[in-house]
Amino acid sequence: MANLSRRNFMKLGIASGAFLAAGELMSPSLAGAVKVKMGGKDFNYLTNAERKGIPTACWSCVTRCAAMGFVEDGRLVKMESNPKSIRTLGKMCAKGQSAPNEVYFPDRILYPMKRAGARGEGKWKRITWDAALTEIAGKLKKLRDDGHPEKFMFHYGRMKGSSSKLIKSVFLGTYGTKTISGHTSICEGGKWVAQELTWGKHYDNWDFDQTKFVLNFGSNIQEAHTNHVPTSQRLIRAKVERGVKSVTFDVRLSNTAAKSDEWIPIKPGTDGAVALAMCNVVMQNNLYDKDFFKFIRATENVNASVDEKIAVLKAHLKQYTPAWAEKISGVSASKIESIAKTFANTKPAVVISYRGAVAHYNGNDTERAVQMLAAITGNIDNPGGRCRGIGPKWKYPKGPKDKPKAKKLKLAHGFPGTVAYPNHGVCQQVLPMIKDGKAGRPEVYMWYCHNPVYVNGDNQGNIDVLKDEKMLPFTVTSNIVYDEASKLADMILPDATYLERWDWEDMVCPTQVPEHYIRQALVKPLGEARDLGDVVIELAEKMGMPLGVGASKEEFVKTSHEMTAKAVKGFPGFDYMKKKGVWHDKDAKPKYYQHKKEIKDLGGAILDEATGVYWDPKKAHAKQPEKGYAATKHAYKGYVGQKMGDKVYKGFPPDKVNKTGYLELYSGLLKMKGHPALPTYVPIPTHEKMKSNELVLTTYKVAIHIHSRSTHRKWLSEVYHDNPGWINTKTAAGLGIKTGDKIKVKSSIGEIVTTANVNGKIVPGVIAISMHVGREESGRYGSGKKSPFAHDDDPDLKNKFWDTYGTHPNWIIPNANDPINGQQAWMDTVVTVTKA
Amino acid sequence: MSKKNSLSRRDLLKTGSAVAVATAATGLLPDTEAEAAKRKRKAKKLPRWAMVVDLRRCIGCRGCCIADKGEYNTALGRFNTVVKNVEFGEYPETEKHFLPRLCNHCAGDESKEWQVPPCVEICPESKSGERLKMGKEKYRTGATYKRPDGLILLDPKLCIGCYKCVDACPYGVRSPDPNVKLTRPDREKDFGVGKCTFCRHRIDEGITTSCTNTCQGRARNFGDLNDKRSTVAKLAKEHKLLENKDKSTLLPNEKTNPHVFYIDPDGILEKYNKKLSKETKFAEFKSGFE
Repeated sequence: MANLSRRNFMKLGIASGAFLAAGELMSPSLAGAVKVKMGGKDFNYLTNAERKGIPTACWSCVTRCAAMGFVEDGRLVKMESNPKSIRTLGKMCAKGQSAPNEVYFPDRILYPMKRAGARGEGKWKRITWDAALTEIAGKLKKLRDDGHPEKFMFHYGRMKGSSSKLIKSVFLGTYGTKTISGHTSICEGGKWVAQELTWGKHYDNWDFDQTKFVLNFGSNIQEAHTNHVPTSQRLIRAKVERGVKSVTFDVRLSNTAAKSDEWIPIKPGTDGAVALAMCNVVMQNNLYDKDFFKFIRATENVNASVDEKIAVLKAHLKQYTPAWAEKISGVSASKIESIAKTFANTKPAVVISYRGAVAHYNGNDTERAVQMLAAITGNIDNPGGRCRGIGPKWKYPKGPKDKPKAKKLKLAHGFPGTVAYPNHGVCQQVLPMIKDGKAGRPEVYMWYCHNPVYVNGDNQGNIDVLKDEKMLPFTVTSNIVYDEASKLADMILPDATYLERWDWEDMVCPTQVPEHYIRQALVKPLGEARDLGDVVIELAEKMGMPLGVGASKEEFVKTSHEMTAKAVKGFPGFDYMKKKGVWHDKDAKPKYYQHKKEIKDLGGAILDEATGVYWDPKKAHAKQPEKGYAATKHAYKGYVGQKMGDKVYKGFPPDKVNKTGYLELYSGLLKMKGHPALPTYVPIPTHEKMKSNELVLTTYKVAIHIHSRSTHRKWLSEVYHDNPGWINTKTAAGLGIKTGDKIKVKSSIGEIVTTANVNGKIVPGVIAISMHVGREESGRYGSGKKSPFAHDDDPDLKNKFWDTYGTHPNWIIPNANDPINGQQAWMDTVVTVTKA
Repeated sequence: MSKKNSLSRRDLLKTGSAVAVATAATGLLPDTEAEAAKRKRKAKKLPRWAMVVDLRRCIGCRGCCIADKGEYNTALGRFNTVVKNVEFGEYPETEKHFLPRLCNHCAGDESKEWQVPPCVEICPESKSGERLKMGKEKYRTGATYKRPDGLILLDPKLCIGCYKCVDACPYGVRSPDPNVKLTRPDREKDFGVGKCTFCRHRIDEGITTSCTNTCQGRARNFGDLNDKRSTVAKLAKEHKLLENKDKSTLLPNEKTNPHVFYIDPDGILEKYNKKLSKETKFAEFKSGFE
């Protein structure tokens, strides 16, 4: 077969200009012999040699897009999306594209390290894996043998899919500690709690493919979102291809606001007032969807008629007039009214919300108000509306059957009595509670894909605790980068990057059809790096408590495939998934209106008269079912259906709390804890007391960084390595501040010095500082500092041109939370801004 | 090279090339049954590669910029493509728009005999290169040259590193690239010039450009303008891009005849053109974010 490629032709040895011309003539693209298609393949730009494409999954943000890694000579050179994915449709964001940097950044931790000086001094010695694991296993085994496994605390940032199951459920479960904290409360955990209190299991998918109007409270979906690429692309396509209008409320002209038909600047923390006023407009003008009210709970009486529920909501909302909301939010009453009417009259319409609206002291009821707006207009779990997220179901090996009853130190859910429903923990209070000491202190504190110093508020406070050997006798992390927290560890284990490890993954699909997808190792781990999933298997062996899930995470993932193939109809198994990376059931129908399903077979369920809930006390492991559904711990686990009239419906099944099967606008659970049962506007106390010279500090994300953990990726830091504070032109004029001025931003807990960016892209009275940069340690690309044992083999080191690294805002943001759900109130900090 | 897109000798001959060396080269190829079978496939008209960027669809995510960094392992400090924020208006009517930029793969001034853009015109190696014809398309070789299908490319084997093309490009999209090694013994500099190639190596294999492939909003569309069924041809027709080049291309007054077209209902190009000058063009081709 005589393929005449340019390369072959070069070998013919013809020289000079004529050589070039002839070489180019062999180019299929020139001869008109090609039809270009979208991705799935990649080639070396110099040699045309095909790069080896391996399906995998991204792990930059929690979206975890199905991806394709391209490998050349054993090196990952390019990352693209997986064109076969129904979630990503072959698209990928800047963060995902920067994957090769994650593996090869020159400051990467590649060997187990033990501290050689005082904690935090920065002196290290390399140790062997065997020495590292022997020491850790020794400490953990002793705690366990002494009957105190709870003194091993595990604190994680991103841990999902099979990594979470193997490390948390199997390893920590077998070990017997429940002193485990995630990080969700510093992300958007408050939103999830509000959803658990209203429609049960969290996660809202926004059906842009079918919607006709988008109303956005504080989501910067087109730069960053928990399901970014799958939803962001669908939103912009809906806008351009179908003319769907969108309106965005945000303190800042984010890219999302910029791409909306209208950006409506709003004062921080007042989205709830506007959402409630919109609900009021809908109700008073009788624009509600009466049919949906059947599934709504609006009063204490679970058997209230639709008319009664409507009357109750009308009466409650009457106080929230658009004129009232205008005074609070700065959004004109006429605008609130017209948007509310458009939203209610456009079917279907979707209301979306995120941290701009919920990361406040009052975020819980803002999210509940948004849920209310969706519910009263019938835009719940409908095509084109606010839908309940659908992810794939995986089966997996659960490890030893006879797991001990786990013990825990109560460190993960906030100070006692401060949070009503900390369903997703209170990450930011873990270190303050360790300092406090009343709930006990762990003897071994381990963190994973987490930077407890920098990602929580009050950075200095976090440093003080982590540095203190009396409070934390032994600290260890598994990490790829030497950051502000690993600097304070006693031992650092070199983690494998997500490009060097195996997983199955399960993020929500925007089409309401689940997609199974996997992550495969694209390259061998660099240096001595090892996936923590593999490490815990060995650690367990060393402690004499074998997990029985195979010798590696890869085996765990493989077995999960075999088990899933037996449980999920049509699932093709491991070999197929390795080849294709993604699978969905082509015959599956998108899931909508799940609440409308009638439950005919009640099994062993009994009716709880007070709530109308049919529940199975056995499934809930209830010892005294006579106490009733609401008062029985974990009764929700036995939920079967909700009685509505003479029928039983699946309704909105509870998760984490014992709510009814209605979409609860009226929350008996909140009432029980002394909070308003119906969504209510609660002003932010610190904002009520603000003086005229004070501003509110808000934070935000940009499209090309991942939280505070991507500055070591050179292609991202090349584009974004500084974060001047945005101040409105008028506000800045009053303060005598111009763009480029050094400014001092001072809060109740400290001050930072940064630079001003004075512009018309932000509401007056606010300073906005992005969270990504301002790193003290993140290697040379992120902080200008060389990490211990770093290498110098990246030729780009000499091309690096920036020497500014920005300013991190979290130094001056106190750890404070929404009293209902524990969400860190990122957007509430009151500050003064002066010329430095 | 994938078999599907490999070229048969027949295909090449059908392009109607009058280039002697090409004929000579194909003459070196053995003929086979498979080759004969392939002759049945009709070669298409010479393509004219182009990009149509729909500004309504760009969300400013910069996925394209980083995709390009990966595709070419571009050295820090330079880009083959960037996305600019174009901002105007007073609070609260402030507007922010996104403008993806790359080499325009200009056709050059149509009034001149050898229709080439300024970067090719100025290249000393192009001046001394051969004048050739491929079909109706005139073609001349050089270190920086315009292929008959419109691609503006560089050959590091011919480049001497004079960087005249860098200055000549009115858009500032070319820059010295430490990753492009020059090999001529009489070179002036050790490294050459980097720029967008319309992913020649990918389109040769039937795969679209790296930036187009990853674009979330489908703002970037790449294809053959001469193929009526292609997306770019359809978009060009629908939005009258070829008829209104003064509104659909950057710096129309330069008469470079760009082949990156913009769908621009909000008049963003007009505003941005004012910012783009000899003094600002290099600074404007750095990726900023806010």
